[in-house]
Amino acid sequence: MVDLPSPTQPGTIDAIAPESARRVRLRRFKELAAKVLSNPATVLGFVIIFAMLFMAIFAPWLVAPNVPDPYQMPRDWAATRMPPGTPGHPLGTTNEGGDVFYGVVWGTRMSLQLSLIVVFSTVVIGSIIGSLAAYFGGKVDEFLMRVVDVFLSIPELIFALAIAAILGPSFGNIMFALIVVFWVKYARIMRARVIQIKGSEYIDAARIIGDSNINIYLRDILPNSFTPVMVQATLDMGNVVLIAATLSFIGLGQAGIAEWGVLVSEGQAGIASGRWWASTFPGLMIFLWALAFNLVGDGLRDALDPRTEGR
Amino acid sequence: MSAAPDPHPTPASRPDRAVLSLKGVKKHFPIREGAFQRVTGWVRAVDGVSFDIRPGETVGLVGESGCGKSTLGRCVSGLTDVTAGGVYFDLPAEASRLLDNIASGTATDAEKARVAQIEAAHRIDRLQGAGYKRFRRNCQMVFQDSFASLNPRHLVVDIVGRSLRVYKEASGTELTERVVELLEQVGMGRQHLYRYPHQFSGGQRQRISIARALATNPDVIILDEPTSALDVSVQAQILNLLSDLQKQHNLAYLFITHDLSVVRHMADRLVVMYLGKVSEAGVTSDVFDAPHHPYTRALMEAKPDIEGAASEQAQGLDGVVPDPARPPRGCRFHTRCHMATPSCGWEVDDVIRRLEDIPGLFDALSGVERKSDFAASLTFGDAAAAERLVSILDSDGIPAAMRSAMGRLERRDRTVSVAFDEVPDVDLRITEPGRVASCVLSPIEVFQGVNE
Repeated sequence: MVDLPSPTQPGTIDAIAPESARRVRLRRFKELAAKVLSNPATVLGFVIIFAMLFMAIFAPWLVAPNVPDPYQMPRDWAATRMPPGTPGHPLGTTNEGGDVFYGVVWGTRMSLQLSLIVVFSTVVIGSIIGSLAAYFGGKVDEFLMRVVDVFLSIPELIFALAIAAILGPSFGNIMFALIVVFWVKYARIMRARVIQIKGSEYIDAARIIGDSNINIYLRDILPNSFTPVMVQATLDMGNVVLIAATLSFIGLGQAGIAEWGVLVSEGQAGIASGRWWASTFPGLMIFLWALAFNLVGDGLRDALDPRTEGR
Repeated sequence: MSAAPDPHPTPASRPDRAVLSLKGVKKHFPIREGAFQRVTGWVRAVDGVSFDIRPGETVGLVGESGCGKSTLGRCVSGLTDVTAGGVYFDLPAEASRLLDNIASGTATDAEKARVAQIEAAHRIDRLQGAGYKRFRRNCQMVFQDSFASLNPRHLVVDIVGRSLRVYKEASGTELTERVVELLEQVGMGRQHLYRYPHQFSGGQRQRISIARALATNPDVIILDEPTSALDVSVQAQILNLLSDLQKQHNLAYLFITHDLSVVRHMADRLVVMYLGKVSEAGVTSDVFDAPHHPYTRALMEAKPDIEGAASEQAQGLDGVVPDPARPPRGCRFHTRCHMATPSCGWEVDDVIRRLEDIPGLFDALSGVERKSDFAASLTFGDAAAAERLVSILDSDGIPAAMRSAMGRLERRDRTVSVAFDEVPDVDLRITEPGRVASCVLSPIEVFQGVNE
């Protein structure tokens, strides 16, 4: 065994020892972050996401919230169809006197809420079901995966559309429809990963030590299977908003709320008459949001590639 | 099989107990086919293996790849359930004799009543609660692939100290200090605490695996090809380390390997496995001096010799290990044995195996009607093919022993009828005190090499 001399002098090691585990993990995280940020496209994605986050968090300070419900578009019937640059309405107004800037800003806040709730719920539901399928195997696995197959055999958009249409137009229903449609992917990913990791020798080693199943799941299986789930979740942060906007656009959303899809729909009638702004600005936001999360998701996938990870 | 004679020499310490005792252990894996995953056969990976591991001794388990030795290791460590038989932990000699009596059907009623009690207290798949915990702590394992057996996301301190956490023996600084002690025992140190497995060489990773196994202060460690993936120079260091640790902690080892030169120096006793069965067992030096089974002899001759002198007349092993789903009758080694006799279990499958090697002839075979494993009618597409088979079976193309075992060989048009003398399966028998082998030949015949 070729053992290289330790870079640290004996004696000094004692002093840093209590901190070391944390330091090593921090260093590993920093290395990973540097790897992710070495891709300019990923950096661009992060910049857009941070700008959007800023807008969402500080919405009440950017535009005064509508009372009583800030997610309802304020209506200024004295100033309908105003072009961008009008005092008080920097991005113009819609046919119904809705301030486009208000819709853009509060729509960001809405999209963030929507995507966080949907992605969080689907990751949790999908991971639990995928893990159960992988853990129990046999008939349980067979049953759960056939259910997943049924869900996957219907195109995402059409499936969400059908559910939202049955439940009736409301923002909550769109959210519910998206959760129903999106969890299956995570179940699939999680199942494949757990099965792969369950068969690895370090799981055998943990069993030999006598660690409990729950500990093995939490300490060995989950951390090693979470990477692809995280990448998919990032991509879905964008996809969710895209599909929600589509559903809103075709009239399944709640009319009059500050949501990008609803605004695009509200403004489309004016495009032919040259009033491009009411649809363009919210549309641009949808585009930027989806683009940003796709860029970051792809960057994470490349950086966390299991073939290069941890070596 | 369970009642196989015990080949143990008297161990030095605690002679009255076996750390681990295998009694007729079988592990069969189902072969599933078709849309409904129907079980169409069984791979008999381990097919009735019995031996004991005494405190402080090293038992070498050797055999070719595919002989079931790794599966057996997993059964012994409790990672895999056994299909039949049992693995017993910390079994007193008196209980061991009782279990053997039960297996051979000579037990009294009173003894039968005791067995349930023994099984609950010692059989590893029946242990519960504190008993299972005690087994789990005392029986550890080191795997061949040191990279795969260490979680890539865990630091060395977490890997080695994990069992201390599981058994709530230490935490915080105390845990770190215990891990440092363990690392020092395997020739590593404090500077390695906070590193990931991928930052080490293969030898160092194997040291970490050994430290992890030592952490629970075990009685026995199952070493599954621990040095096979390492450079020869590193191998020697790991082997020396294992020897030192054995002396310090009075560890028992089950050393699983295909490398005879490794066990020659490590093992006190040797168990040679072939196709799921023990073909020979005994004290290592005795086995090396005079193998009592042609397979052991072939294994030793197949080992490349640096001087090159011995290997000149070496015959080694040719052919492949037969399918463990249809193991050969009689002696399982007879298909590849240079010393095979007519009474080694020649059967219909031997004819089929030959057919598979002859181009064209196997394709011409249209049906096999078996009367038993030893007699069948083979129908071919045309009479010429049938005649060709007869001429091959009647010539030097097959071993002389196989020809003499053939009681009948007839061709009627396109059908060839063959029948071999039926022989029982060859079981382990005592060849000399402390030695067992499963060969119809006497040790002296194996030594001289009949039929050669």
